[in-house]
Amino acid sequence: MSDATDATDATDATDATDATDATDAADATDGAAADRTVGGETAVAGDDAPLLETRDLDAGYGDLQILDGVDMYVDDGEYVTIVGPNGAGKSTVMKSVFGLTVHMGGEVIFDGADITDRKPEQIIHEGLSYVPQNENIFGTLTVEENLEMGAYILDEVPQDQMRAIYDRFPILEERETQKAGTLSGGQQQMLAMGRALMLDPKLLMLDEPSAGLAPDLVDDMFDRIDEINDAGTSILMVEQNAKEALRRCDRGYVLVQGQNRFENTGDALLDNEEVRREFLGG
Amino acid sequence: MGVSETYERGRRLLVERPFLALVVVVGVLLFLDLLYKLGTGAVGIATVVGHVWNGTVIGLIIGLAGIGLSLTYSILGFANFSHGDYLTAGAFSGWATSYLVAGLGSSADLAALFLLTASPRAVGVTIASKPLAVFLGLGVAVVFTVVLALFLDRVVYEPMRDAGGISLLIASIGVALAIRYAVVFVYSTDIRGLTAGDVPRSRLTIVDGAVVIDAHEVALVVGAVALMLGVHLLLQRTTLGKAMRAMADNKDLARVTGIPTERVITATWIIGAALAGSAGYLIALKRGAMNYNLGWVLLLLIFAAVILGGIGSVYGAILGGVAIGVVNNLSLVWIPSDFARVAAFLIMILILLFRPEGIYGGVKTA
Repeated sequence: MSDATDATDATDATDATDATDATDAADATDGAAADRTVGGETAVAGDDAPLLETRDLDAGYGDLQILDGVDMYVDDGEYVTIVGPNGAGKSTVMKSVFGLTVHMGGEVIFDGADITDRKPEQIIHEGLSYVPQNENIFGTLTVEENLEMGAYILDEVPQDQMRAIYDRFPILEERETQKAGTLSGGQQQMLAMGRALMLDPKLLMLDEPSAGLAPDLVDDMFDRIDEINDAGTSILMVEQNAKEALRRCDRGYVLVQGQNRFENTGDALLDNEEVRREFLGG
Repeated sequence: MGVSETYERGRRLLVERPFLALVVVVGVLLFLDLLYKLGTGAVGIATVVGHVWNGTVIGLIIGLAGIGLSLTYSILGFANFSHGDYLTAGAFSGWATSYLVAGLGSSADLAALFLLTASPRAVGVTIASKPLAVFLGLGVAVVFTVVLALFLDRVVYEPMRDAGGISLLIASIGVALAIRYAVVFVYSTDIRGLTAGDVPRSRLTIVDGAVVIDAHEVALVVGAVALMLGVHLLLQRTTLGKAMRAMADNKDLARVTGIPTERVITATWIIGAALAGSAGYLIALKRGAMNYNLGWVLLLLIFAAVILGGIGSVYGAILGGVAIGVVNNLSLVWIPSDFARVAAFLIMILILLFRPEGIYGGVKTA
């Protein structure tokens, strides 16, 4: 824990001397409020509470602890990316937010409510949707049925929202009656997002949306995520394709061994020598 | 070209999978033998049609019970060995009701009616003479089995929800024994005669003989097909059915999507137990007698059907049930009835050897 704090502090210091962009400046001024924690310090957006916030979150599977005091937040409308090496616990952050791991300490606040110990089927009512990395569609159900399942908690299928998703991903409407398992990888990813968007969530969590996609589809996928964000949905995304993800997002975290190592705007992280060398392959 | 390709395929089959080739040859020989027997009149056409009809009737019951087994397998993730005894529970509770309803006002006393020790002749239940007793019995069989299944889920399976399939399977064997000997405790191990009196029947003349179809068989076929259609509509059209299929497909994603998994599990038990209870009642209606072993003995055939159809698939269970039923009965052409089961299980073993995913393999429908 103390290592992480040191590392982050060090980064902040370097960034602050850089002081090229507004965020860093804000960080520096915020830092003046001496007693604030690393997580608290990053409250750039001003007085408004963030949409999602993890405070000193410890979590894992069974007896195995993966996350070690993770402080993260996502502001309303923000597009945040988590990058980091394999096994750093990137996906675990999302699973923990969504109540799919063993909670070991700290808390998760979403939209003002403490959702730390809630189950996924309760959390989804709060306006938080999650697209897992693998097996994120119901392959034996049709495309339309997949979307209907996305709105299961509602009394009836919201037709206007379904319309909006079909407009965003026209291929899904074309394949409406087809079994989802027969779609291509890219189409399945769109369906997975469509399913998660059926409840018009405030925050959409995407776990490696570009994984397994053909290179020419990756850009398209990122464009669509931009569009979803532009339409007002906050995004929290984990990505292997770190450079592109950081280029696209508002802000990023570099997670290493279950701890925040760096946190800054995407561009600043891309410019950071240490981040580039250690995590972005130069 | 076509001939040489066929030849090549045959040669490869012979070399690479000689055992499968042998099985195919035996199958073809049996089929030819059947044609020969029919041709020479050693076996009447009507006899064969009769076997197929009987096999279909039994097969539909097996399929009905198989649906429940397949649903619990795909949604709860374990092979439920107590499923057969759900049939027994349904049959006994239902028939006790039928006897009480039919025998009220007759000379038999209530205890004898409830314990099914009253003389079948005195009570005289058939679907024609006492349709109300049969319908009420069927209804109680369904309700009682559902209540039993939900109770057992609460006390046994729910606390073990996250346990592995093997632990659950072993627990279900315990549950099976508990149900069976609870039935023995009340009803003893004696065989109970159930129906008596003239069941309306019609003789269908076919070429060289006649096939007898009685009203109980018709009731059973109509009931089973209607229930299967109901399950089909439920799974394909209703939100609950879609959620069941979604959960069978991917439990983790179902949770993430907000599908209330416990409620879906409850629905699964309700549907599976209702079908099992009615299957138990209906097969006792067809046979006209039963004992405590009714479901347990059938369970193996039900498993055979479900495996044949592709475990987890509802439509596979129906198809597999009919196939097992027909094979079971058609084998009577060659072997005495005491050994008919051998044929059914031989088919199951062959399927496991050569197509372990079942006929419907990979197409998980629920």
